[in-house]
Amino acid sequence: MLNRLLIYFLLLSSIAVAQSNINPDISLIGTFDTYMNFDKNTPEYGKLIFDIPSFELFIDGYLNPYARATANISFENGEFSAEEIYANIVRGLPLDIQIKAGKYLLGFGKLNTVHPHAWPFIDRPLYHQIYFSPDGFNDIGMDVNFLLPTEDFYSSLDLGIYTGDAMAINTAGEDVDLNEVRGNSLIFVGRLGSFFSLDDFDNLDVGLSGSYGNYAKSSFYVPDSVYLPFQMLKYFYGGLDFKYKYKPDGYTSLVIQGEALINNRDVIRGTELEPAVGNITTYGAFIYFDYQFFKQFSVGAKYDFTYGVIGDEYSYNTLSNDDMNKTNGLEYWIGYYPIEETLALRLSTQNLIFDLANNMSKPTETTITLQLLFSLGPHKAHQF
Amino acid sequence: MKKLLILTFLILIGFQSFGEIKVVTTTTVIYDLVKIIGGDKVSVDYLCRGDQDPHFLEVLPSYMLKLRNADIVFEIGLDLEKWLPQLIDGSRNDKLKLVDLSADISKKEVPTTKADASQGDVHPYGNPHYWLDPENAKIMADEIYSTLTDFSSGDDKYFRANLDKFKSEIDSHMKEWTDKLSNLKQKNIITFHKSWIYFTDRFGLKVVANVEPKPGIPPTPSHDAELIQLIKSSNIKIILMENYYSDSAPNHISESTGIKVVKVPNSVFGIKETDTYIKLIDYIVNQIYKNG
Repeated sequence: MLNRLLIYFLLLSSIAVAQSNINPDISLIGTFDTYMNFDKNTPEYGKLIFDIPSFELFIDGYLNPYARATANISFENGEFSAEEIYANIVRGLPLDIQIKAGKYLLGFGKLNTVHPHAWPFIDRPLYHQIYFSPDGFNDIGMDVNFLLPTEDFYSSLDLGIYTGDAMAINTAGEDVDLNEVRGNSLIFVGRLGSFFSLDDFDNLDVGLSGSYGNYAKSSFYVPDSVYLPFQMLKYFYGGLDFKYKYKPDGYTSLVIQGEALINNRDVIRGTELEPAVGNITTYGAFIYFDYQFFKQFSVGAKYDFTYGVIGDEYSYNTLSNDDMNKTNGLEYWIGYYPIEETLALRLSTQNLIFDLANNMSKPTETTITLQLLFSLGPHKAHQF
Repeated sequence: MKKLLILTFLILIGFQSFGEIKVVTTTTVIYDLVKIIGGDKVSVDYLCRGDQDPHFLEVLPSYMLKLRNADIVFEIGLDLEKWLPQLIDGSRNDKLKLVDLSADISKKEVPTTKADASQGDVHPYGNPHYWLDPENAKIMADEIYSTLTDFSSGDDKYFRANLDKFKSEIDSHMKEWTDKLSNLKQKNIITFHKSWIYFTDRFGLKVVANVEPKPGIPPTPSHDAELIQLIKSSNIKIILMENYYSDSAPNHISESTGIKVVKVPNSVFGIKETDTYIKLIDYIVNQIYKNG
């Protein structure tokens, strides 16, 4: 008991004074995208576009023997932002739980917590863009991770509580006052994950995720309505994910990974004069494979499906509130990694195929992207 | 009464197995040494298989489970196992003792100028492949003995006897290994990766070039061409390489020059025949001797 108290004291004192003679690890991941869009309806049609280079600066290290802290400062589209900043108590807590607190990518599904530079493909899965945000499911809060007593395989449960900023951004974008969108209501996110080592070369991870809460106030969409009394609009996301990897040696590997999400939410429906709250259920999913056929080369393909139309404006019946229209995506890529993962070149093509209701149509969008990625410093590998 | 005695006996057996020191090792060489020194007083498991490159191990949750209930984890150190801290964090084991076996090793190739990635995958604290020198295996065994004794001082004599036996076995083989390799006419060799310096220094061989242009950098056609020139002008007989590297560049060089590619494991269980440290060194020495 005394030991436990001492550990808690050390944790608190270290957070309070936070002094160390040892520098944290500092890494920088830079990304430069060049792309060409083949959508005749856009002014960029057929032009070679050079994106402003972006980067992520990672600062990471132990605070004390029991806790780590990580900051990920990103520069994207010409703007700096704190993409992640959190502390993680990794050992010494009762029941061997781990606690993570701060702002970070949430553990809904498996891919969301992996930084995009570590994906084999370039384009974020479509269902992430519709139901999370163009930058993923990222929020401020706290997560408790339990290691479950399954002796023969690794199994863990995450339970987290968050401000709900992620859902407000998903509802209205980043350029609005998020309190205007949803008020002060928290959301919950959890994942139950299990890892199976099938043999020396095959590994499988499967997970079930859930998220629940309010995503908006009805008055955000319909202010001062006499027909629609004020109420909070609720949502529930359920998710299923898996990742399989076959790696017989250091030169070849095959990864097959997929995720699916079911979205059930209150939405504004009815007419403009007589709006009402309805309920919809929609879906999104992706599956991909990436085959490393030499140490330095990989090829892969990804299929995406989601309700909602990529590129739509935020409104009460678009994007995650859309139960009429669908987007399909096909992405193919070849990756070249000349020296381990310090440098990567990826050539990718993505086709977006739209399936619109009410006899509407939208032409297929094709984008070809060449990406150069570099990794400077001791950035840690992601867990399987 | 009889049932009570049986029950007491079973409980005692239970306590005895509970009393074992639980050890996890990062590599199979350390695994073998711990098994030899610890005998039946330890239960031991390893993370990196003998046919895997220990520089790059995927951070698998199953490894975290192995570390979860361990008392000690032994590592090679010198920045070889960059993946280990993540696994230890994931294990949540706050009682786990991490022992770096490189502490008393005389390190080679410690950079004397600022190390950076332009030099390839250099290890800033020195070349970590020290286990390939059997004299260093004795130093590793000493460290393992001292750590196990700290955990179970009552078993000191048992551990000491195992340690002495291992050291004398190494000593008895050393003469045979040294004699074999000292008889080689051509002492200059080429290695694939810069990982054999401890082995070659011990047995009087000289590494004159590496197939990798710089540590960790894949072979290039221009570097292959330089090697082909060097082999032809210096009459070098063998390229020594670990069995987890691709032999396509060495085989290409071999086709042009007739040099023999000697592909060997560098860790226990790297192949079936090398299931102990002594058999591993024996195998490597014999392969070089046969082809040299």
